Amino acid sequence: MDIELICLLAMLGSFLLANLLLKLPVSISMVIGAVAGALVGGEGIPLRHLFEGTFTYVDTMLIISSAMLFMTVIQESGALEALNATIVTKLYRHPALMLMMLMLVIMFPGMITGSSTAAVLSAGALVAPVLLLIGIPRAKAGAIVAIGSIMGMAAPPINIPAMLIGGGVDMPYIGFDGPLLLLTLPCAVISVLLLGLRHCRNLDADKLAESLDLEVGKKYGFRLYIPIIVLFVLLVLSKAFLHFPQLGTCLIFLISAFIGLFTGRKFNFWDKALKAMDTTIPVLAKLMGVGMFIQIMTLVGARGWIVVSCLSLGITAVYIASLTIMPAFGAISSYGAASVLGVPFLLVLIQAGGHNDIMVASCLSFLCCLGDLMPPTALAGNYAAQIVQLKYKFVLKYCVVPFLICIAIALAVLLNSSFFSFLTV
Amino acid sequence: MKRKIPFHIMTASILCILVIVLVVVLTMIFSQAREAEPIYPGKGVTDVRMLSDWFPKLKGTNGDTEVYILDSGVKGSSMLVLGGTHPNEPAGVMTAIMLIEYCQPESGVLFVIPRANNSAFTCTDPQEAAPMKYYIDTDNGTRWFRFGSRATNPTDQWPDSEVYVHASSGQQLSGSETRNLNRAYPGREDGNFTEKIAFGLTELIKRENIQITVDLHEASPEYTTVNAIVAHEKALDLANLTLWMVEDSMKITVEASPTNLHGLSHRELGDSTNTLALLMETANASQGRLHGRMDSDLVVTGKDKFYTRAYGYGALNVDYPADGISLSERCARHITCVKEFCSMYEGEAGLISLGNLPSYDEIIDQGIGHFLKDPQ
Repeated sequence: MDIELICLLAMLGSFLLANLLLKLPVSISMVIGAVAGALVGGEGIPLRHLFEGTFTYVDTMLIISSAMLFMTVIQESGALEALNATIVTKLYRHPALMLMMLMLVIMFPGMITGSSTAAVLSAGALVAPVLLLIGIPRAKAGAIVAIGSIMGMAAPPINIPAMLIGGGVDMPYIGFDGPLLLLTLPCAVISVLLLGLRHCRNLDADKLAESLDLEVGKKYGFRLYIPIIVLFVLLVLSKAFLHFPQLGTCLIFLISAFIGLFTGRKFNFWDKALKAMDTTIPVLAKLMGVGMFIQIMTLVGARGWIVVSCLSLGITAVYIASLTIMPAFGAISSYGAASVLGVPFLLVLIQAGGHNDIMVASCLSFLCCLGDLMPPTALAGNYAAQIVQLKYKFVLKYCVVPFLICIAIALAVLLNSSFFSFLTV
Repeated sequence: MKRKIPFHIMTASILCILVIVLVVVLTMIFSQAREAEPIYPGKGVTDVRMLSDWFPKLKGTNGDTEVYILDSGVKGSSMLVLGGTHPNEPAGVMTAIMLIEYCQPESGVLFVIPRANNSAFTCTDPQEAAPMKYYIDTDNGTRWFRFGSRATNPTDQWPDSEVYVHASSGQQLSGSETRNLNRAYPGREDGNFTEKIAFGLTELIKRENIQITVDLHEASPEYTTVNAIVAHEKALDLANLTLWMVEDSMKITVEASPTNLHGLSHRELGDSTNTLALLMETANASQGRLHGRMDSDLVVTGKDKFYTRAYGYGALNVDYPADGISLSERCARHITCVKEFCSMYEGEAGLISLGNLPSYDEIIDQGIGHFLKDPQ
């Protein structure tokens, strides 16, 4: 047995022991797993590597923190309630159309930023209360938000895993729009209708009106929406125009949040921000733990063992691994899956012949994005669950069928990549 | 009466002290990356200047870097060799250092920049678990060199946008490429830190009328472009002539620089200057995704059982023997090709000859360390 495999087993064993038996938080369990791996690998306690690994997701962590502040502001200012009331009163007669529109709204920030976290925390948090209002159960509403944010992350124009995979083989990020739309739009539409339609076929206008707060919208009017408009305008401008200052998603959230302090109900920002950060810190710690875990996996050779083991199984197994291990790797990191597995898998599939390179890279990136549903990290899933105030395991249950549909669509496109090559033009 | 300290305050205090101790220890560890490895200029070096001499905005920044000039004193053409565009590709760095310490040109002028992205030498990449230093045995003892990162240190340029847009072409790449020097060419005078370094290098090439520019790289063995010369269309003839001369010694291919992949030296320097832009890639296991334990030995010996296995599965584009592909062998490839680029070039400004450089076999047999200068 390879020593690298022994290290990997030690890491996973220690992690599970700490998390499941000792009931320690995921983040601390990850640290324990990393330290165990380093000890078994003969590296002692490599302080530098443990510390360096925690910086892997520093940008993502800043985006999450700033997005949480933005969400706090729009919730407390009353913008969220007003928006819900507007959407429901305008569209309740056409539930299928309403659901598809809501799905598109959830996807939009992910399409622009390439981040499912940004999608969940911005549009997802706006739409979730609407889904609850129209009668969709909490767990299913959470699942819709989670799946929608992942479809947004995978959809064009920005798909970061596709860029990472393409960058690994010098493939420019050109011609991906068609393939990514082919993968994401059907999955998004099927998922939202499957999960939501039966609950909102016969909506009662009066009953809905009772649940909605129509007063806050009347009192503050259009200005309530200014922070949301500023957020979307800045996101679009910074991506669409090369010469527009690159503010970054984090600063855009902060600017929008600051504006929101003056556009609606007054509230104690400091208190609310502290509470928001209290709920966020465990997720940030989890990301730091994951970064540390991967760094030690690389240090002791366990990462290489995983990749080489996948490659050793032949072309059929690479297909199977693409459909299973790549999304599963998202339990650690979907970007990590793209970089660590996506590049060698793409090379093997290209070498096998009969494929369109861009279609294959699109499918692999789509499968990587699905990893954001995988616990324990499950960035999209965890935040979606938090928004609907449930534990993630309840939301996860309703993500399974859409997840399998996404895998099936990805497989169909992957096997027929040459047929769909006209989309890459 | 004795006052008892509350448990939570005691815990918090212990944690704070622990954090302070960790910060001090880690600062000392990471500060080591700021100390540059010594380079001992050989007899061929006639001048050492800074890149800021060609682009003053770099002066005093971590992007300023040494430019070693080896002027033969005999009229001829000029060549620029770039090492350390990506410091985690050590064959490029070591080849440049070996030229500085060993080469004595006989005609023309050789410019060598061993740390093209000086900032990227001061950090390593999270998740890659790279060693901070690797060690090479020389005839005069062991010398150390920094491994570094593929990208500019985030303390010099941060944060990255989610998507990197190449300025002159509008091409979109992953945000992680924002700090990649070899996606920033031809650079911008008022651009970000990395674009300014690229601009400085482009200025040097323009003002010194450099005829040939060779950007020395390495790639992971599973990468498509490896053991290759990538040439701008203007430099394809020179690359093919060189291939013809060296293919008895080594397996190597010539690839034309893709016209739709922007920001890379072989594309942009060829388009925006008169230089013949070439880039070389060798197979470096330590920067790949398949390698086993990551340490200085892997960097230097290239021995890796997983890469050998992957080669057996047909997953690589290069032969990967159980003995590995050593740093000496990778440097030998670079040096042999650089020498042949000069031999094959017949420019209007005259010839360029790098003098008596060791052969491909000599470098492999005696090791790259043998050709480094004795510090004494």
